[in-house]
Amino acid sequence: MVSAIKQGPEPAAQDGAPVAGAPAPAGGSAGDGNANGPSPAPEDAGAASLRRLTFRAHLWRRRALIVSLRVARLVRTGFRRFLPALRFIARTLHRRWRRSLQFRTVLTTLLLAVTSFAVVGAYLSNQIANNLFQERLTQAESETSYHVKQVQDTFDGAQVTDQSSVITLVYDTLNAVEGRGSVIQRRYVFEAMPEQTKPRNRWVESRASDQLTVSVIPPELRKAVQESGRDQYWASTVIPVGTEDRPGIAVGNKVDFNGTVYELYLIYDLNTAQQTLDEIQSVLWAGGAVLVLLIGAVAWYVTRNVVSPVSHAAMVSEKLAAGQLQERMVVRGEDEVARLGASFNHMAASLQEQITQLATLSQMQQRFVSDVSHELRTPLTTVRMAAEVLYDARHEFDPINRRSAELLYNQVERFQSLLSDLLEISRFDAGVAVLDAEAEDILQVVAHAIEGAAPVAAEYGSGIILRAPEGAIIVEMDARRIDRILRNLILNAVEHGEGKPVTVTVAASQTAVGVAVRDHGIGMAPSEAARVFDRFWRADPARARTTGGSGLGLSIAMEDTKLHNGWLQAWGKKGSGANFRLTLPLRQGEEIDKSPVQLEPEDITMPGEPGNSNMLVLGTGGAFPGPESAAKEKT
Amino acid sequence: MPEGAEQDKAILIREYITMKARILVVDDDEALAEMIGIVLRNDGFEPVFCADGAQALDVFRSSRPDLVLLDLMLPGVDGIEVCRQVRAESDVPIVMLTAKSDTSDVVRGLESGADDYVPKPFKPAELVARVRARLRPGDQKAPETLRIADITIDVAGHTVSRGNERISLTPLEFDLLVALARKPWQVFTRELLLEQVWGYRHAADTRLVNVHVQRLRSKIEQDPEAPEVVLTVRGVGYKAGA
Repeated sequence: MVSAIKQGPEPAAQDGAPVAGAPAPAGGSAGDGNANGPSPAPEDAGAASLRRLTFRAHLWRRRALIVSLRVARLVRTGFRRFLPALRFIARTLHRRWRRSLQFRTVLTTLLLAVTSFAVVGAYLSNQIANNLFQERLTQAESETSYHVKQVQDTFDGAQVTDQSSVITLVYDTLNAVEGRGSVIQRRYVFEAMPEQTKPRNRWVESRASDQLTVSVIPPELRKAVQESGRDQYWASTVIPVGTEDRPGIAVGNKVDFNGTVYELYLIYDLNTAQQTLDEIQSVLWAGGAVLVLLIGAVAWYVTRNVVSPVSHAAMVSEKLAAGQLQERMVVRGEDEVARLGASFNHMAASLQEQITQLATLSQMQQRFVSDVSHELRTPLTTVRMAAEVLYDARHEFDPINRRSAELLYNQVERFQSLLSDLLEISRFDAGVAVLDAEAEDILQVVAHAIEGAAPVAAEYGSGIILRAPEGAIIVEMDARRIDRILRNLILNAVEHGEGKPVTVTVAASQTAVGVAVRDHGIGMAPSEAARVFDRFWRADPARARTTGGSGLGLSIAMEDTKLHNGWLQAWGKKGSGANFRLTLPLRQGEEIDKSPVQLEPEDITMPGEPGNSNMLVLGTGGAFPGPESAAKEKT
Repeated sequence: MPEGAEQDKAILIREYITMKARILVVDDDEALAEMIGIVLRNDGFEPVFCADGAQALDVFRSSRPDLVLLDLMLPGVDGIEVCRQVRAESDVPIVMLTAKSDTSDVVRGLESGADDYVPKPFKPAELVARVRARLRPGDQKAPETLRIADITIDVAGHTVSRGNERISLTPLEFDLLVALARKPWQVFTRELLLEQVWGYRHAADTRLVNVHVQRLRSKIEQDPEAPEVVLTVRGVGYKAGA
């Protein structure tokens, strides 16, 4: 129903064009082409045709309004009912548009093809219409001048005797103009020019072909013909034939008969031309549609040929990335696509080889560490047990042997801690250290570490102060490693604390927990703070190795922290002590944005030199806190 | 725990020592085995040696030791396999000697049935303490029946059952279950369990507890992924199910 009604206004527009007096299908250019000819288009609008026009326009406007309201209602209800489906389709199309190169290419090609065909088709059909009209017009003009001359000659040579013979003569002459045979070749309108003195023997006033009256002649044409001498003029018009209106050309001139000037208009039917044009247009439409479909199919085929290896490559590389290293592309032929496949496969092969090699290396390294560990530890255990047996029995020895037993015992102890630290570091280097994280209360671990360090602290005469919130702070962590980090930091602080108290501060935020270990001992310069996590680094090489640490403790602590995706940072100032801060995310896999405890302690206020604080932030790999947070902490 | 019980335990331990507990040392390193022998003998134990994993089971059967000290890496049959074989026919305490402290190795050893492990290099005192802890006789078993969830524990009879179905547990697993069942209202930290079940005063590796809880769950839980008997209390430790 919709489509039937929708088409309504279109014929109206088609009808309207010739009615409007604008020179029919290709009137404009036809008029231009004829500009040098003796027939300028008439200018005045005839009252009758104008009235008809406005009435029809009004009618069509009403119809169009009703139709558009109905269509709008239909569209609205349909839209409401099919909105979800439409949305789904739109989303699907949009997704395909984004994701499928082939879809995009084919659609773009189709759109471009349709646009170019529309342009070319419009141009072609316009050209053809012009030519058809022009041809018909030329024919009409030459035929008209010939027939007008014929009529004039017939009239001039006629014997004007009585009314009936005159009428017969005129009618026969005019009927001869219509042409012989069953098909009317041209129609005529024969009308005495108005406003002239009427002779006594003027028996013929007007005459026209079947169904025609003088009203089909556009007033502009009539005016032009009336006002000119013997020039020929033309105009487009609409003629009733049978029950339909047809486009036509009216060509007019004047003839004299028996002292009266008549306007003679010959009207040529453009229907055959219009039909030809319609046929050509429908052929153009069908051809265009077929061609567009063909182009779409070609585009689809071509892009499929190019895109399918690419999407195949994408699929294969996704599989490769997922770890299926044996995955390869199918290579067929020797073209660019095959070369792509071959080089892709080559890349995959070398990737697989390298990864396998690395995995083997890592395994070898791991086994080596494990073997060394075993091989060294077994004799060390024997040595250690023997040393301890000797050490326990040292009271029975003479002083020299006793001292030797003591030295042996202590150094075996030191050797053992060095070995275990070395093995730990090599395990990190081999990448075999794994995080065994579990949710536990970090306050318990802190308390445990302090408890463990208490005997050493008592030896140095420094107390350990714990500042921590009440309750529990549950952290996803490897408690063994965190305990090792904290014990290391606390023992370090005690060792360098010169007998002054060591403060351990714990604080938590929504995402992170921070533990700071602060001593008030000799402190360190920023350049030293930058290096404390280096392996085997010592602040002062000349300083006695009182505690006999391996020199790997802070390096291991840093590795343990990295394993937790945490931060381990050091701050120091000569003479003001040092502060080490450990920050851990509460849940593994989360990023720390800010540590809940300050790195630079609040209790060092050096009057007169506020800008001289030696703060140093050491990031751990990707978890570097960035300049903003560092600056925030600096204030 | 009341004073009296502590004293009773001490007396019992001394009795054990005077009984000269026999300890099978399975280690391929002769020097270490000899040194361990010296230390054990020094503390009043009677060591028996075996240097080959393949013969370990035969020596075990012939010597009938009270405890096995087992090196994890052995030529021929490795320590884990030996452990499995011994465990298959006896509940005797097994203490692993391991040179590897990687979690996976320790866990593998414990999962094969060892009750405890001592990482190399260890101190003589440490070794002796562990041996004593494992030789310590269980608490005086008064006739007592405990229940957790749908599990029934006959403490004196040393049996655990669900309905009519008996569940076989090692002595250590049994002790762990009993410790939890005796105080169903209490949440046990790993350290507390180490102290009560393993008898360690000083902190040892809490992975011991984790592994043994997993092993216990695999035997007594209907779905070890959703435990009902031994519950995990996040961030603290374990407790008995209702």
